[in-house]
Amino acid sequence: MTKSSRNSVSYASRIISNAFSGWGARIGLTWVVILAFVACFSPLLANSMPLMVSEGGQISMPILRYLSAEDLMLIVLFIVALLLWKTPLKFSTKAAITASSALIALLVGLAILSPPKTIIYDQFREAAAAGSYDWQVLPPIPYSPSDYLRDFGDNSLKAPMVSVEQFHLMGTDSTGSDVASRMVHASRVALSIGFIATGISMIIGIIIGGQMGYFAGRFDMIGMRIVEIFEAIPVLFLLLAFVAFFGRSVYILMIIIGVTGWSGYARYIRAEFLKLRKQDYVQAAIASGLPLRSILFRHMLPNGIAPVLVVASFGVAAAILTEATLSFLGLGPVEAPSWGSMLNEAVKSSVFNWWMAVFPGGAIFLTVFSYNLMGEALRDAVDPQLSRKAGVVS
Amino acid sequence: MSLLSVQNLHTYLDSARQTVKAVDGVSFSINRGETFCLVGESGSGKSICALSIIQLLPAGIASHPSGSVNFHWNADEGSDNESIAEVDLLALEDDALRKIRGAKIAMIFQEPMTSLNPVFSIGDQIVEALQLHHPELSEASIKAQAIEALEQVQIKSAASRFNDYPHQLSGGQRQRVMIAMALACKPDLLIADEPTTALDVTVQAEILDLMCDLQSQTGMAILFITHDFGVVAQMANQVGVMQNGKLVEQGATSDVLNTPQHAYTRQLLAAVPENLAKSVIETASFNEAAPSVISVKDLKVWFPIRTGLFRRVTDHLKAVDGVDLSIRKGSIMALVGESGCGKTTLGRAILQLEKPTSGSVKLGDRELVGLTAAQLRPIRPRMQIAFQDPQSSLNPRLQIVTTLTEPMKAHGIGENHDDRIERAVKVLKQVQLSEDYLWRYPHEFSGGQRQRIGLARALVTNPEFIVCDEITSALDVSVQAEVLQLLLEIRQQRDLTLLFITHNIAVVEYLSDETVVMKAGKIVEQGTTAQVCGNPQNTYTQQLLKAVPRLNLS
Repeated sequence: MTKSSRNSVSYASRIISNAFSGWGARIGLTWVVILAFVACFSPLLANSMPLMVSEGGQISMPILRYLSAEDLMLIVLFIVALLLWKTPLKFSTKAAITASSALIALLVGLAILSPPKTIIYDQFREAAAAGSYDWQVLPPIPYSPSDYLRDFGDNSLKAPMVSVEQFHLMGTDSTGSDVASRMVHASRVALSIGFIATGISMIIGIIIGGQMGYFAGRFDMIGMRIVEIFEAIPVLFLLLAFVAFFGRSVYILMIIIGVTGWSGYARYIRAEFLKLRKQDYVQAAIASGLPLRSILFRHMLPNGIAPVLVVASFGVAAAILTEATLSFLGLGPVEAPSWGSMLNEAVKSSVFNWWMAVFPGGAIFLTVFSYNLMGEALRDAVDPQLSRKAGVVS
Repeated sequence: MSLLSVQNLHTYLDSARQTVKAVDGVSFSINRGETFCLVGESGSGKSICALSIIQLLPAGIASHPSGSVNFHWNADEGSDNESIAEVDLLALEDDALRKIRGAKIAMIFQEPMTSLNPVFSIGDQIVEALQLHHPELSEASIKAQAIEALEQVQIKSAASRFNDYPHQLSGGQRQRVMIAMALACKPDLLIADEPTTALDVTVQAEILDLMCDLQSQTGMAILFITHDFGVVAQMANQVGVMQNGKLVEQGATSDVLNTPQHAYTRQLLAAVPENLAKSVIETASFNEAAPSVISVKDLKVWFPIRTGLFRRVTDHLKAVDGVDLSIRKGSIMALVGESGCGKTTLGRAILQLEKPTSGSVKLGDRELVGLTAAQLRPIRPRMQIAFQDPQSSLNPRLQIVTTLTEPMKAHGIGENHDDRIERAVKVLKQVQLSEDYLWRYPHEFSGGQRQRIGLARALVTNPEFIVCDEITSALDVSVQAEVLQLLLEIRQQRDLTLLFITHNIAVVEYLSDETVVMKAGKIVEQGTTAQVCGNPQNTYTQQLLKAVPRLNLS
């Protein structure tokens, strides 16, 4: 550090720039950013309806009618985050701006947008075939995930890229819908379940574990018993039970995975804090009369977060895998396609259709791998002595 | 002819980017029955030098571009060919080296807690070395020899302790076992790398005596590595002073200590607390009638010992057991004692970092015992602490600027951030560090600099009382001297009151106005430093003072 870095870079941004200086973390980040882009823009990337048509000289965008408030929020979120990426604002302000604009978009969307419940996908192709459009702009993948393409006859289980006129990049599944389109739309579930479930468990785990470690004694004893109770809960069976009672909603999955998964984080943070509270600099912070919040979150947490970050990267991966497992068992969320349920379909068929297993399986693998790469890099970056090595996969 | 002669030894250590010349052209020789002391500050290459002699450095990293280490060794011992041969240890094959290591050259290390293997009994560890070098001996006779070795280092009832594990022994006993292991094979040369640095002074005195006794019995040569000139004066026949991998001065001990030739040797000797100029302390007037800043009455800190299924409290560890103290404004009180006597706990209990079991601590007129954390917070800036270990005393994640300004912010000192930075710069200057250090992280500093930053952190809240917990024990003598002089200056400028916790009597004599001697949680003697150190009344104090290795210059 030289004098020039005087208007000191905030801790978080320094760590992040350190972590992503190596190629390992960059590969991981690239994949996750691509995934995030695909997830946010999935209705524009894979859809049966044209993005833009000219009907008798009148230009219209049929896709807009079918956008939901959720789609709008995600698109706004991604664009705002991208715009703020390089601005010299504080990380916390950036996060606040992004979150508030996404919230506004969601509210506006709920007020204005009202997508029809049922969509007849065939109508667009029929209209195009009948020549009622002067020209049309189709999305890169011109099929919706739940468009079974009945008008094409028996379209099921076609291998990738067999015919030129009905081009399916990744083939079709047993119902006849396009695998590539389903892959694109499934990325939403994968990303959000990983982030949100892990976020919930990390926050709960850090708060409970941190206090257990810092106050120790009786608080610690009670806390550890609660941790043990939560560790005894078989998450998969709890999820199965909830799915049976409350329906197959992706949000319920996230919350249950999050609320049951914090015990690991709490244990790690507790162990670190028990060690750290006897460190001289923590004692010095207490002796200086700093407020408890600063002692816990400024002096102790950054020094104890490293193992939690590593666990969190595995946690994201594990949450994605849990969802995939549930979907594979046929109990996943119904409202959207998911990689796990696609894998499930791959094994249902009597013959092995490689394209139905390889693409979703590969996507799960790549995503889990990316999170692990980033977790490793973050762990190294949090430690100043190791930060030179950050990103180098050792 | 000398037993070991080191000629122009070079040891280079290669790291990924650079080559460190750890030992850079060192020559000396040791005769049988003689002790050669290598003395120098940390990083001067004295340990690397010793490890080069016994060839324990990792082969991939260390290299010896030139030089030789000649050692008298007869490879065919016991055969008719009794002529003594000389071998160059640097050029020797591994097989031959293995025969020399342990049998002819033995080594003892600094840290008694980690240099014994915790999963083997001490007897087994000695037996293993003996079996290796004397495969011809029977098991019974090896065991007898091992017990003899333990008796030789004055371990009481050695036969019954044969099966004890390292954790059942105290630090001093472990170091004795290490010596017994090293001496079991009757080596010609013993390399001792700071063998007493981690021990208390009374234990150190015993171990040093023991080593002298054993040397006169066996006639072995000792290469003794230390940083303590007191130990040098007591042990050495010959002494070599190392600086940056070079031997800057060597000669007979009395010559080097009394009439040092090299500037560095003079500088080192001048930094020894006994020799530090007391100019500052004389100007600081010690006022007998000053009001007391800290008064401690019957303070007890007991830690419960819980046993059994229901974790019932069966006994207490009495770390501090009924202590009365009063520290007058503007004075420095030294708290002396050996490790485990409760001196650190007392310091922390005064600051309410440790909850006292009973008793009273007053800062001025304010009673501190029994206050809640929230009630204590506004009082905290008035009393501060500086720590021993420079590695762990600063938060590694925070820039120095944050470490220094955060306490000010918490207590509303300074109007805004810039004002606080200005104050931090002033304090940094006071501890003789420059302004741009503010924007660095702790790992970029040396130990001495970190201790200064630790002091600066204690000073930013304008305290009236600071507990200094062994702040110089981890530092080299010259750095220690700087920090001590700095402390005296700051004390004078700010009219500070200090409680200086230490085990180093020389530092006490240099620094303090009053001295308190602690043993097993109780104060055994207190009074002005001149009284306590000059004319000790208590037998423990006498013992303690007698054990201190003195640098007696004629």
